[in-house]
Amino acid sequence: MKKGTKLLSLALVLAMVLSMAAGLAAQAEDRVTITYSMWGDSEEVRVLEETIKKFEDEQDKIHVEVVQIDRADYVGALNTRAAGNNLPDTGIMAEDAVLMWAEQGMLADVSNMYGADEAKPLDSLAFTFNGSPVGYSVSNEVLLTFYDRKAFADAGVASPPASADQAWDWDTFVDVAKQMTLDVNGNNAKSPDFDPNNIKRYGVMFCPDFWQLEVWSVTNGGAWYDAEGNVTINTPEATEALQRIADLSLVHHVAPQYGTNTATTIDQDLVNGNTAMYIQGQWAVGVWLGNAHQSDGLDYGVGVLPYMQDKATLNTGGVNVAFATSQHPTEAMEWLKWYAKEENSWGLIESGIWMPVLSSYYTDEALTHKWVDNPNFPPYDEYKAAVVDYAMNNAQPTSWYWVNNTNLFNDALSTILAPCWSGNAKVADVIAQNIDALKAANQGN
Amino acid sequence: MARQEARAAKLFLIPAFLGLTFITYLPLIAVFALSFFKWTAIMPRPLFVGLSNYIRLFTKDIFFWTSVKVTVQYAVLSVCAGMVYSLSIALLLSRKVPARGFFRAVFYVPYIIPAIAVYTSWALLYNPDFGVFNALLASQGLPRITFLADSRYIIPSLAVIAVWASGNLIVIFLAGLGNVPRVYHEAAEIDGASAWQRFCRITVPCMTPIIFYNLLMSLIANMQVVVPSLIYAGSNRTTYPEYTFMSFLMYRTGFINNDLSYASTISFIFFAVIGLFTLVLFVTSKSWLFYEGGDR
Repeated sequence: MKKGTKLLSLALVLAMVLSMAAGLAAQAEDRVTITYSMWGDSEEVRVLEETIKKFEDEQDKIHVEVVQIDRADYVGALNTRAAGNNLPDTGIMAEDAVLMWAEQGMLADVSNMYGADEAKPLDSLAFTFNGSPVGYSVSNEVLLTFYDRKAFADAGVASPPASADQAWDWDTFVDVAKQMTLDVNGNNAKSPDFDPNNIKRYGVMFCPDFWQLEVWSVTNGGAWYDAEGNVTINTPEATEALQRIADLSLVHHVAPQYGTNTATTIDQDLVNGNTAMYIQGQWAVGVWLGNAHQSDGLDYGVGVLPYMQDKATLNTGGVNVAFATSQHPTEAMEWLKWYAKEENSWGLIESGIWMPVLSSYYTDEALTHKWVDNPNFPPYDEYKAAVVDYAMNNAQPTSWYWVNNTNLFNDALSTILAPCWSGNAKVADVIAQNIDALKAANQGN
Repeated sequence: MARQEARAAKLFLIPAFLGLTFITYLPLIAVFALSFFKWTAIMPRPLFVGLSNYIRLFTKDIFFWTSVKVTVQYAVLSVCAGMVYSLSIALLLSRKVPARGFFRAVFYVPYIIPAIAVYTSWALLYNPDFGVFNALLASQGLPRITFLADSRYIIPSLAVIAVWASGNLIVIFLAGLGNVPRVYHEAAEIDGASAWQRFCRITVPCMTPIIFYNLLMSLIANMQVVVPSLIYAGSNRTTYPEYTFMSFLMYRTGFINNDLSYASTISFIFFAVIGLFTLVLFVTSKSWLFYEGGDR
């Protein structure tokens, strides 16, 4: 073969390969690429990428790329990206930052994400700004009373009720907590020989996450804000409830000083017998209690919260948003809508970390069974009454669903209340003295 | 030749010059400039507000003055106790004690343990109900103490952790002690000086440059304290005023609460406070700093 012919053949082969590659690239480019930011470890990224693969197998228009950001720096990292005009198309967002971003026009209105005939998330899971939803929680969570079933059986004391109808009023709750609090000599807090300086097991502990305190003002018929987002924490109902939480430790000795149990988690405190009851969010089932049940044999139960005037709990859940800067808003919302379907995040629901967001899982018995029949969960009837029905009928959204600057407000409030937990001040007094600072924080100052 | 050397020197200084300019000085100027604006990264553009951030900081901010107070309290306590502790341990370890290498490692290790492990472990020790310190108090019939959640005890409790973890100071003191000329000690011994007199008149004066260095570094590091706040009083937790150190206030304002311009204001004042303390240290050091070569 002549040298010229060889060169010609080589050029033809090269041209063919290049055209094939170009064809493949063009095929790949048919898909619109959108980005989705999330916090989570490498295992969560792996699970998410599998989920994305499933999404991409089901359609041929959208390709999703994951942007992994550390949880501690998440909002800060998004700020930096916003400053560099480099925001992802979609992403999970910290609850207390949603309305701040919406106020700056950075979040897309998702009013039209769901059609009229489509199954929508529960109304209580919509973050609204100026009357329009800007995101839906990707999971549902409610605050509950978890307890050590064996501790109650051994003490011969009735365990926390699963049904909201039978929820304990505050006095009953304090009385039970006293019966379940033991000093090192085995005396309970009702005994005249009880030694409050040497407590072996508390009746109740509270998760130290500060925002959860809001629920007690709500159960007392009060609120930290009104429907318009104005500060109402200085009402007697709101302050009295917080004082009652402080008094659990200061007066009744049935709980550790509020906010001090930061070194241990609910599973450790229940397994080690540090407490008989623990107030925490439903996610505890998936994050801690399921494992403790399997590995440590913890026989835990779940009940509704005690109440002061109103039988209520708070709901919340990390929210998925579409950023207003996205060049592909339709595709972004299509991905979010698909991802919000329970079957696409079933691993997290099955583990107990997430509760479903679609109302059908709360009303359709078959779907509820699919969700709740799980060896790591408490028995079906108990969980159904204490979690599923309670979330449907008694849950109110945490204030960050409609109030901006809750992070600033909570920072100020947590510092203002600090002396109350150690008994150096009264809640009503410090709130009255600092109400202007709290109102300023609510306004973003 | 001299010109060639000067040219080479300038060439080699370029990376340091660029680094300092773009990583230190320009951001510093930017932070100062930003403190006169209102800006979150998600605002379309910064809004000039003049001195209002400074007015807000000095007159309305419920955290600021507390923040300065607790930062200074913590730094002074940690630095003073840390210097005494680390010099004492270094003196002991400079002697020919059995297993000296082992003990040197034991005192250095706390410095290199990850901070999260250190503070979590100490939280367990300090636990008001189940911690070892309260078990000891209870065994003596004394009331329990909520070390990390009682305004009277938070700063001393945190300072104890800082002192415990000051292994780096011990290592530097050890190196300094090794350089104190033996002839001075021998001459003083012949003259009948006691061990205490030799320590005060020879060891300490010869160590003043090391003491000054450790004091300065320790002061700056402790003024910048933030880890205990992040671990014990992070987002969503009850924040006792004693945890609102200046670095934490700056971090929370800028990166949790998204107010970058106001965080810049706090940063600039914080920078000035540290600068002031450093200046005081430099000025006062002239009266007690001793260089063997006679240079100051």
